[in-house]
Amino acid sequence: MKRLALLALALTAPALAQTGTAQTASLPSGQQLGQVLPQRTPAKTYGSTCGYCHGTNVGPILLGRHLPAGYIRDMVRGGRNGMPAFRPSEVTPAELDALAEWISKAPANPTEHGQ
Amino acid sequence: MNGPQIDRRGLLGAGVMAAASVGIAGTAMGQGAVLAPGVSQADLAAALKAFRAVVGDEWVAGDAATLKPWSKSYTPDPSGRHAPVGAVCPANVEQVQALLKIANQYRQPLWPVSTGKNMGYGATTTAAPGQVVLDLKRMNRIISVDTELCTALVEPGVTYQQLRDYLDEHNIPLWIDVPTVGPIVGPVGNTLDRGVGYTPYGEHFMVQCGMEVVLANGDILKTGMGSTKNPSAWQAFKWGYGPYLDGIFTQSNFGVVTKMGLWLMPAPPVYKPLVVRHKHMADVARIVDAMRPLRIAGVVPNVVLMMGAAYQVAMFHRRGEVSDGAGQISDDDIGKFAASHDLGMWNTYIALYGTPAQVAESERIVRGAFAAIDGEVMTQEQMTGNPWFHHHATLMRGGLSLEEVGLARWKGAGGGLAWFAPVAPAKGSETQGQIDLAKQILAKYGFDYTAAFAVGMRELHHIIALLYDKADPAEEKRADACYRELVTGFGDRGWASYRTGVHAMDLVAAQYGDTNRAVNAAIKQALDPNHILAPGKSGIA
Repeated sequence: MKRLALLALALTAPALAQTGTAQTASLPSGQQLGQVLPQRTPAKTYGSTCGYCHGTNVGPILLGRHLPAGYIRDMVRGGRNGMPAFRPSEVTPAELDALAEWISKAPANPTEHGQ
Repeated sequence: MNGPQIDRRGLLGAGVMAAASVGIAGTAMGQGAVLAPGVSQADLAAALKAFRAVVGDEWVAGDAATLKPWSKSYTPDPSGRHAPVGAVCPANVEQVQALLKIANQYRQPLWPVSTGKNMGYGATTTAAPGQVVLDLKRMNRIISVDTELCTALVEPGVTYQQLRDYLDEHNIPLWIDVPTVGPIVGPVGNTLDRGVGYTPYGEHFMVQCGMEVVLANGDILKTGMGSTKNPSAWQAFKWGYGPYLDGIFTQSNFGVVTKMGLWLMPAPPVYKPLVVRHKHMADVARIVDAMRPLRIAGVVPNVVLMMGAAYQVAMFHRRGEVSDGAGQISDDDIGKFAASHDLGMWNTYIALYGTPAQVAESERIVRGAFAAIDGEVMTQEQMTGNPWFHHHATLMRGGLSLEEVGLARWKGAGGGLAWFAPVAPAKGSETQGQIDLAKQILAKYGFDYTAAFAVGMRELHHIIALLYDKADPAEEKRADACYRELVTGFGDRGWASYRTGVHAMDLVAAQYGDTNRAVNAAIKQALDPNHILAPGKSGIA
């Protein structure tokens, strides 16, 4: 099993290394069997959801633009145009508050590429 | 068939009549949504109040502002009849049981969703008016992972991202198999909608094993081996004893699935993605005929996508970059743009998995098959830097990506997307007629042919992305009419859809005939006599 594990890591590592988004998506979630997903850090929430589009060719770059936190919260809950809307059951109110502040203050990530 | 008579035809009409007699649910209850047949505003208000007592105030939505994320939709809904009137988010099975009891008391229909991100099929909007979304996303426990049997048991709110994270964090060398929007959707919802992914485990219902289902009366059914005294084989043996029941809980409204088992693929020693490029649209038939024996024999073990150039281009580019014309984009225009971006008119993505010797032998066979039909077989090394190859190479190893969300901005800013997915046998003779018909209907309404074929074990899914500008009300109306003509036009030729969005469920059900609908209606009446679970789902009232 250990040999297979190393092999699997070797197979996935190059792809994960390609973007900053993948790096934040691969941050640990800390979920344990039989337990609900613990509250995620803003970086993990961003990497698991936002960064797959914003920073990976699909949506506009967000990091480093110092967008107002309230604006970010509205966009997440309402979605705009092609962007999905995210429900409190997906991104909890506490996660959203922390995420909005984090995006608002985050520096640009040079590994992101967007439209 | 004798049995209860359900007025299916009147389902949507009844909703509109209810709006007329009882009133629009009001700005407080969804955006233009109407109440369910036979449910008064007082019933809805009482049900929402009772729901709050079960899950807490913060997990019930019942006004336009808080309902906004549940009302977001990509599918055509020109009259606003698919918006929900409320949402409730249980945390566990006991709360689901309590909510169903209340729904029965007030006859308030509930529309269950797992992760609610079935973009292009309706997301969390509902097939018939007046429903409260039963949002199971908070139920996101990974119950078990068996590293010897390579199985998992998960709740409906578990996303593929969560499952991938759990496996990685515990150094478990198992792959997952994802649809195109893997990070924000999950195994339960995708499997229940009979969705697919792109590894050898891509036929998701085939690798599903065991369910826990809360029935409308609150009883809990465990399918397969799950109800025996020692259910240790619950995720190992699909069939159990007696009639196989799992199927009736997919694409249906007969129960609320609260746990589901699935099989996971061991990470292979070697993974080799390939793309086969063809230069002409007319190559479609011979690609399918070349691929069929390779799929049936298992030489190509994964669900194969034959991506049309326009679909590929629409992922990463906007329509205006290709054409400024209002009518359907021509094959010539698409072909030139595709060629300049290292794409063929057909881009067929396959992958090989196994030991070095197995992969080498399979590659030899594949190269032989496609050399005979002028296919250009390209490897990862040859396609370095090509974003389309990277995307599909990611999918075919169960990797996570949301790049296909880019489709939603192809035409205008409005984010309109509806999947049309007719099924045919995997024969080349079934392809060109479909393409001609699709192009003709789409052109009539001013839409592009952005499509792919997925080659399964014996069948061919034609996957057409109807891309439109949802911000333009006239275009949304045209998209709705276009989709309906696609369903009926293809249905008349024997190409019925395997899946559809909330906007066309009754219409697609009609393609499958009266006896099929009567059987479904009888099962519904037996299991959910008050019709409180998702009336209208798959055309079942």
